Amino acid sequence: MSQNLSPKVRAGLSFRAITIGLFLAFMILPVVATALFSVSIRWDRSILPEGLTFDWWIKVTSERGFQRSLTNSLTISLSTVLASLALIAPTAFWVHTRVPRAKPLMEVLVILPFGFPAVVLALGLVRLYSPLPIAVVNTPAMLVAAYVVITLPFMYRAIMNGLEAIDTAALSNAARSLGANDVQIFLKVILPNIRGGLVSGSLLVFSAAFAEFALANLLVGTRLKTFPIYLVEFTRFDARQASALALISFSAAWLVSMALLSSSARRPSTRGSSATA
Amino acid sequence: MLKRPHAAWLGLAPFLIFVLALELLPLGGLVWSAFSDAGMFSFANFARAARPTIVTGFANSIGLSLATASLGTLAGLVIAYLLVTGRSSRWRDGIIALSTVAANFGGAPLAFAFIIALGSTGMITMLLAQVGITLYPGVRIYSISGLVVAYLYFQIPLAILLLLPSVQGLRKEWREAATSLGADPRNYWLLVGLPLLRPSIASCFCLLFANSFGAYATAWTLTGSSVELVTVQIAALIRGEVQLDPALADAIAVLSMLVMAASILLQRVFSRRERTVSR
Repeated sequence: MSQNLSPKVRAGLSFRAITIGLFLAFMILPVVATALFSVSIRWDRSILPEGLTFDWWIKVTSERGFQRSLTNSLTISLSTVLASLALIAPTAFWVHTRVPRAKPLMEVLVILPFGFPAVVLALGLVRLYSPLPIAVVNTPAMLVAAYVVITLPFMYRAIMNGLEAIDTAALSNAARSLGANDVQIFLKVILPNIRGGLVSGSLLVFSAAFAEFALANLLVGTRLKTFPIYLVEFTRFDARQASALALISFSAAWLVSMALLSSSARRPSTRGSSATA
Repeated sequence: MLKRPHAAWLGLAPFLIFVLALELLPLGGLVWSAFSDAGMFSFANFARAARPTIVTGFANSIGLSLATASLGTLAGLVIAYLLVTGRSSRWRDGIIALSTVAANFGGAPLAFAFIIALGSTGMITMLLAQVGITLYPGVRIYSISGLVVAYLYFQIPLAILLLLPSVQGLRKEWREAATSLGADPRNYWLLVGLPLLRPSIASCFCLLFANSFGAYATAWTLTGSSVELVTVQIAALIRGEVQLDPALADAIAVLSMLVMAASILLQRVFSRRERTVSR
């Protein structure tokens, strides 16, 4: 029986090896090509780059536009995380403890941004708010608000998973018996206990905001260049420097995902949230 | 006593106001203005949307999404199955980690990486030329088939992440039971395995479809506006790249929301069936 099976098993093994190998090659080759390109002196005539150099990296990172766009993106993404935490954390706590009947409504409102393209949200915001006499559409605040909207599912799910994993009633009662008021309970008892959810939600929101292009391009455009917009502009005139930028962007996404994996590994309750990314 | 639960809803006011102002009103406004012409209810904007370029845009977007959703789901299913049945958990964890990262890749950096790898002077293009395979001008990364390849870069990992839990849920005992009743692998898959997985396959497909339909940055960076896609057309109409016609953009946006709603509705139908199957 086992002699009979072994060729089959071997065929299965090689099919497995080939399929996974092809998949890995497909995933890794574009990144490796970009990395090699960013350190090559010249590479459009031969198979291998003609010499290696870090010039493009030094050049592109010393550019003022680079630093400014990176700062812009970091500021916008951090503001989005803070705004999202400030809006969602108390709301989710309130829904969970006081108005559980609102949960189905919340789920719909929060999932809705998955149901339409970011371009459509951008159009909706432009159409609704640009006729106003004061400029709101072209402001960084509007961009942050729009990012909070498109990342609602990430933050809400992560925090709600955290809340559902702990016994909020017992914790609140214990704290109340020690003389804590509602605000103290929320800040000092609940938040530390759902830290895992807060961290993974924040990381997801941060990485989504950092890499977002459509809303940034359509809402603020050239007024406030975010890193992805800067990158796209750069691809039009210097491929080598742009490949260094692309690699920085890949590494940022990689770092955030690794942080996300390790934070969700520690708290299995928030795992589901990373799978929806 | 009765009043308190109602008062508790007030605690949700900040969130509800935010969602109203930045999600519901903008979308409602789009629908409203798509259906109005000079303040009157009208289908005029939709009639104008029936021009060839926009019809092509929808055909391209839907075709691209169908292709990347089916290829992505299929590849994701095969790889998830190979990972679950594989003996090495280190490989499994490594590929899950890679998928988590790659499912979030996209946009400009991804498009650019594909230009570097598969562009007309790209690394893989030249390697292939060395062994006698010429890609250009036959296969172009800057075309709609190029977009299929680029989108698969985030669609396959997403499908792996979505399908892995339910593939893990397939118990070895079911397969053994089927085999002991005389089923060969083909019978097992057609009669037991795939029917059990069908709901999650279907909802994975719908999610991938929506993901691809709404994508903009990758397409725009890779092809500019040379490939007609719904999101690219909407963006061009509000930025006035070709012409400034926001009312037409509203109509296209409403039509695209209908396409998305259809895919979500399908997902609902299939996920409802999931419960009856799993019990």
